[in-house]
Amino acid sequence: MGDVQKKLQELSDSYQTFQGELSTAVEARQKLESQQQENSTVKKEFDILEDDANIYKQIGPVLLKQDKTEAVMAVNGRLEFIDKEIKRIEKQITDIQNKAESVKTEIIQIQSSAQQSQQQAVAA
Amino acid sequence: MASKQQQQQQGGQIDLAQLPIPQLRDLKSQLDAELTHLSTSFQSLRTAQSKFRDCITSLTSAFPAPPKSPSPPLLVPLTSSLYVPGKLTDREHVLVDVGTGYFVEKKIDDAKDFYERKVKDLGESLKDLEGVVEGKARNVRMVEEVMRVKVMSAQSAEAQAQGEGKSD
Repeated sequence: MGDVQKKLQELSDSYQTFQGELSTAVEARQKLESQQQENSTVKKEFDILEDDANIYKQIGPVLLKQDKTEAVMAVNGRLEFIDKEIKRIEKQITDIQNKAESVKTEIIQIQSSAQQSQQQAVAA
Repeated sequence: MASKQQQQQQGGQIDLAQLPIPQLRDLKSQLDAELTHLSTSFQSLRTAQSKFRDCITSLTSAFPAPPKSPSPPLLVPLTSSLYVPGKLTDREHVLVDVGTGYFVEKKIDDAKDFYERKVKDLGESLKDLEGVVEGKARNVRMVEEVMRVKVMSAQSAEAQAQGEGKSD
């Protein structure tokens, strides 16, 4: 019985760590999503802008003038990067989910077998 | 869209009646968490929308419609408690924050147009989100209902079992 309990404790601990990892990954995913949203609205804004429009980039408290092509390139680069990051995190999330799921089934198995043996003991 | 939602709901209903109480409880807490998250998002979208509306009002008051009319008196904050009188040298352009640290020089009308577009976009998002929130609230109510029925039937079954035990 002690062995089973110990194993169960270990499994539930690891399940909890997986849950923690999952929520951090999901948080990161959400943050990326909002960044992607913001960058794509900026890109849309640049798209309808005249080519000779004055664009300034904020660096610290200072506004520096920047070429439109340069700004567009920077935003596109960011979008590409965010896209890749989202794919990476997404994979991470599915990995963690799979691991957590397998741990969960193991826990359920152990619990149900323990229950069964208990019932048998009671019946005997 | 509506028919799809209905289908999903019907599917949910069938599943709900078969779920045991602990799982229903899990489902409810999950739905509750989603609902709070969505409501907070709704609130922040509202705030953002009203901020953009403020921008439009500021533009209208700082740059009255006939462009030749004199600039309204202006006090520029140097600190939060020290102001100096100022005058606008450029009455035709403003710098608009388009996000991610980029500012674009725009004509007054274009800037107003920009903010109006933002308000409209946010209004659409708000409408979408409202639908989602309503759907979630409906789901929560449904789960609660099924849970109540289950708990009650479990209690009455227990009472019956006890009653039988006594009569024996």
